[in-house]
Amino acid sequence: MALRFVSNNEHLIDYGSLRTLVVDDIPGMRSALKMTLANFGITRTDVASTAQEAIFRLGNGPYDLILADYNLGEARDGQQLLEELRHRGLITLQTVYVMVTAEAMYERVAATAELAPDDYLLKPFNGEVLRNRLEVIFQRKLAFSEAHRRFAEGDLEGAVAACDSLMRNKPRYLVDALRFKGELLNAMGRFEEGEALYRLVIEMRAVPWARLGLARVLHALGRAQEAEAILLDALAAAPEMMAAYDLLAEVRIARKDLVGAQQSLQEGAAISGKTVRRQQQLGELAYENGDLETARTAFQAALDKGRHSIFVSPADYGNLCRVQVEQGNLNGALDTLKKNKDSLQLAPEGQLVTAVIQSMVHSRSGQADLARRALDEAGRLRGEGVHGDGRLMLDLADSCMTQGRNEESDAIIGEVAKNAHDSEALLSKAREIYARCGRAADGEELLKKATADVRKLNNEGVYLAQKGDFDGAVSRLLTAAKEAPYNPRILMNAAWVLLRDADQNGLKEGGLQEAKRLLDEVERLAPGHSRLPGLRSQVREIEARYGISRRPHP
Amino acid sequence: MSLEAKDLYAALMHELKNNLGLLAMAMEQIPRQDSEAHDRPLDDARLLCQQVIERLRQSLLLYKAAERPLPIEIDAYSPHEFVQEMRDEAASLAHGRLQVSAAVDDGVPPIWFFDRNLVDIALTNAIHNSLAYARSRIEIRVGMAEERLCITVSDDSDGYPEHLLHAPGLDTPLGSGGTGLGLRLSQMIAQAHVNRGRTGELRLSNVPGAAFSILLP
Ligand SMILES: Nc1ncnc2c1ncn2[C@@H]1O[C@H](COP(=O)(O)OP(=O)(O)O)[C@@H](O)[C@H]1O
Ligand SMILES: [Mg+2]
Repeated sequence: MALRFVSNNEHLIDYGSLRTLVVDDIPGMRSALKMTLANFGITRTDVASTAQEAIFRLGNGPYDLILADYNLGEARDGQQLLEELRHRGLITLQTVYVMVTAEAMYERVAATAELAPDDYLLKPFNGEVLRNRLEVIFQRKLAFSEAHRRFAEGDLEGAVAACDSLMRNKPRYLVDALRFKGELLNAMGRFEEGEALYRLVIEMRAVPWARLGLARVLHALGRAQEAEAILLDALAAAPEMMAAYDLLAEVRIARKDLVGAQQSLQEGAAISGKTVRRQQQLGELAYENGDLETARTAFQAALDKGRHSIFVSPADYGNLCRVQVEQGNLNGALDTLKKNKDSLQLAPEGQLVTAVIQSMVHSRSGQADLARRALDEAGRLRGEGVHGDGRLMLDLADSCMTQGRNEESDAIIGEVAKNAHDSEALLSKAREIYARCGRAADGEELLKKATADVRKLNNEGVYLAQKGDFDGAVSRLLTAAKEAPYNPRILMNAAWVLLRDADQNGLKEGGLQEAKRLLDEVERLAPGHSRLPGLRSQVREIEARYGISRRPHP
Repeated sequence: MSLEAKDLYAALMHELKNNLGLLAMAMEQIPRQDSEAHDRPLDDARLLCQQVIERLRQSLLLYKAAERPLPIEIDAYSPHEFVQEMRDEAASLAHGRLQVSAAVDDGVPPIWFFDRNLVDIALTNAIHNSLAYARSRIEIRVGMAEERLCITVSDDSDGYPEHLLHAPGLDTPLGSGGTGLGLRLSQMIAQAHVNRGRTGELRLSNVPGAAFSILLP
């Protein structure tokens, strides 16, 4: 016997109350969408023509539903808009985000992205389809509201339990629930369970996101070789899977295959070169591999694509100029500074980048006077506490030493070494500078001394924590963090020990705040570091345990 | 054709398709007046517009399939929701001139894995055909057949011409009445779905009336 269709929806959606934002660069499309939405009662609709405008509107108040075109006719597309909105906390998991695309290919690109929209609509679509899809999406959101709420409260255990209950009681959400649960397990560091989950999904069907998830947990479990094989397989079947190229690069870095990592990012960038972070990472890898021309193009692309992106910082201008200088293109470097003068002057770090690059260019072209002036300016900024990334600071030290300002350069290099005691790339660059100025022995001694303190404090702290002496461990690691305030490894260890202390011995005055501050700092220094999600979820667990409420959304 | 010219053609087809989409949306805004003289030409124009859009979607797919095997993007969907969406779309084009119904057989699982966009193209073609040939009714039904999900569009038309029943789609010479393009693509779409060594299939029959079934492993 067949069932006639009766609506299987359990809840009525009150369309009249939904605040909606339509993002499309084509005016005709904006108004058509607005009218179509009005046809079924969605009347509170705003429109935006660019990602920039959308971000502005969302800054002024939340929306329940966002319909965004994939192709926004500018540097940022609808997928990047989604990523940026999530990153800035401007939308929550409850916000419905629907991507509108003109081509099925874009669906394949975005479908496997880390952050998937709630659905895709292929252009052209009619009002009937839109109404149907929205109904389905809102019913799903309602079904997941418990899981999403728990997640927002930091109660990941609770969110997992909500997923399990959905799987049992609402089989039509089985796959969606598995997908969300996989992400939760990953965030909680429960990688073995994640592996089992993704294998279960693949047993049903080898959908791309499950392969990607499996590769990610295997990588986290240190099984890089298996992860690489799975990614290569997945890419052979679906070469548009952008996230797979990024993950493959990470996996190859873990396997110390930097050339392979660069190649993977290059292949990814050839298909979709718009992602700022992909270009930045490609630039860094290529630079490390000595492939200056690829590095230059990638750093340039990162700046071109990221003109208004929050993922671009003054360090990116420094990276591009450094490559240009090393290629012998001094005028090119000055040109880059000139073209981006406005952005660079905005922040003190940008001013420091400008001064350092100028000092490099002028000392190479033998204009000692100009070089000196630039160094004076850099020194002034440094005196005010302005700080750049490790490479920039080494450039500054290099210029200083070349100009005979040894005292200044030694101080800077000491600082860099403390803050990067585990970075072979930076330490060997420092050695190179000393060697070039005929001070190899001096350098060796200085680097040893600078890293020794931090290393000792760090090792002692970790050792004491393992022995159970948390007071000793916390004091060692907080001292280390003060000594090396830009050292991600140290800051994360300090946060780790604070959290373990709270976990085992209860909350101490200010401990949790300090851990969170340290993690925020790491996020700034090393965005997306692989240890961060695990530490963040420990914070949430402890907050949940002690009933510390968080703002509804970060 | 040079590579650039080919891309240009594809871009043009996209633009045509999207502008027609805008036109269709604009026509949806024209209120009906419950007068045959006003509503009939409007409904015809809307249907025609959707048919042209569908043709362009088919052409773009064909263009893509010429370069390499049909790219396929499998994910999990609810057959119930999918069929309901197809039903509503058909009903909005039929405008009460034909009765459109949908049904889900017992035993259809809550989720199935398929390429929603491709199967949509196949079913929309079948629905448009039925809108053109049916006398009074169209039914969209989803069931299970040989462990495959089977979605059927059937109507009360005179049925498919004999030669199509024996060799649907690919084996039909082009130009034997209509273009045959829609059924051809439907067969390609069915066959692009492969799971554990089992392949999708297109089946046409007259029950009487035409019945179009796509079976997805
Ligand atoms: N529902 C139907 N009832 C009767 N004949 C049909 C039906 N659907 C398709 N046909 C026949 O099959 C032919 C091929 O259909 P199709 O491949 O969709 O191409 P086209 O729509 O361009 O004619 C049609 O021309 C028509 O003769
Ligand atoms: Mg047809």
